[in-house]
Amino acid sequence: MKLQTGEKLPGWELPITPTLVVSTALATRDFQDVHHDRDRAQAAGSKDIFMNILTSTALCERYVTDWAGTDVQIRGISIRLGAPAYPYDTLSFSGEVTEVEDGVATIAVTGSVSLGAHVTGTVRVAA
Amino acid sequence: MSDPKQTMGVSTGSTTGGLVVSAIHEKIMAAAEEIGGWGEAAEREARDLVNQPTINNWLEAMGLESQRFHQGEAPPSMAQVWTMYGQGGVSTSSTTEGYRDPLHAMMNVLTDAGFNGVLGTNSEQSYDRYLRVGEQVRITTALDSVVGPKSTGMGVGYFVTSRSTWYVGDERVATMLFRVLKFIPKTSGKDTA
Repeated sequence: MKLQTGEKLPGWELPITPTLVVSTALATRDFQDVHHDRDRAQAAGSKDIFMNILTSTALCERYVTDWAGTDVQIRGISIRLGAPAYPYDTLSFSGEVTEVEDGVATIAVTGSVSLGAHVTGTVRVAA
Repeated sequence: MSDPKQTMGVSTGSTTGGLVVSAIHEKIMAAAEEIGGWGEAAEREARDLVNQPTINNWLEAMGLESQRFHQGEAPPSMAQVWTMYGQGGVSTSSTTEGYRDPLHAMMNVLTDAGFNGVLGTNSEQSYDRYLRVGEQVRITTALDSVVGPKSTGMGVGYFVTSRSTWYVGDERVATMLFRVLKFIPKTSGKDTA
């Protein structure tokens, strides 16, 4: 796949359900209670359980490979966390190839929820 | 706008821009220097070898479909999954004598100083290669930096950055810079928002 600077990825909307938050937390072996126990999450000051960081990273991987195909070789995923991703919200991804240099393409990715950007970052793939 | 000077553990006119009492700041930075000196520590083996059932659970949960990950390779962003502490937060190697985790140690220093809030802010992973089913993964963690005090939307806090490295044998397979904000929640001050 030949990636070109300025190329935009199609948008992707992922409904956030309690099942998604809990199943992904456990599948990433993250047993912190704020990712599966609403009472404990609320006692800690959150509105609800919320998505864990390993899943935010993984969904950036999925977003890029859903578009580029899993044959691409991912070199790295760097993310900055913003608004929490709570159940009953929607995670909306957008992305754009911002640089292709020395055999590596950098794809800027944003995943937004109703409160603002949940995750902003870059996925680097071999190009 | 809340006034950070009114939060706990705070004074004015110090070298820290008035956000934190100088003595507390100096104690925090001294601890950061000591813990940073441990270098790559907290060495742990993953509980399990890279394995297909764990990959399958991850693929199902993430909704990611690929033949590639049924033919011996693991998704790259699973690198961190293999060495998670798991339920209860302990591993066999973490209970051995002399075991110390730089990230946990630095977070404890800040918690003890009143910065009891914690928020993950950055994760920067690089993959040298994809892991393969059957490989035994090992992790080390080093304290990279402690920066602060900073006035943030959450409250006054310090950014703690750790650097984790994953190995198979002596081969480095992935790295991660992980940053958390340890902060004094604004609601613990007089100026509850």
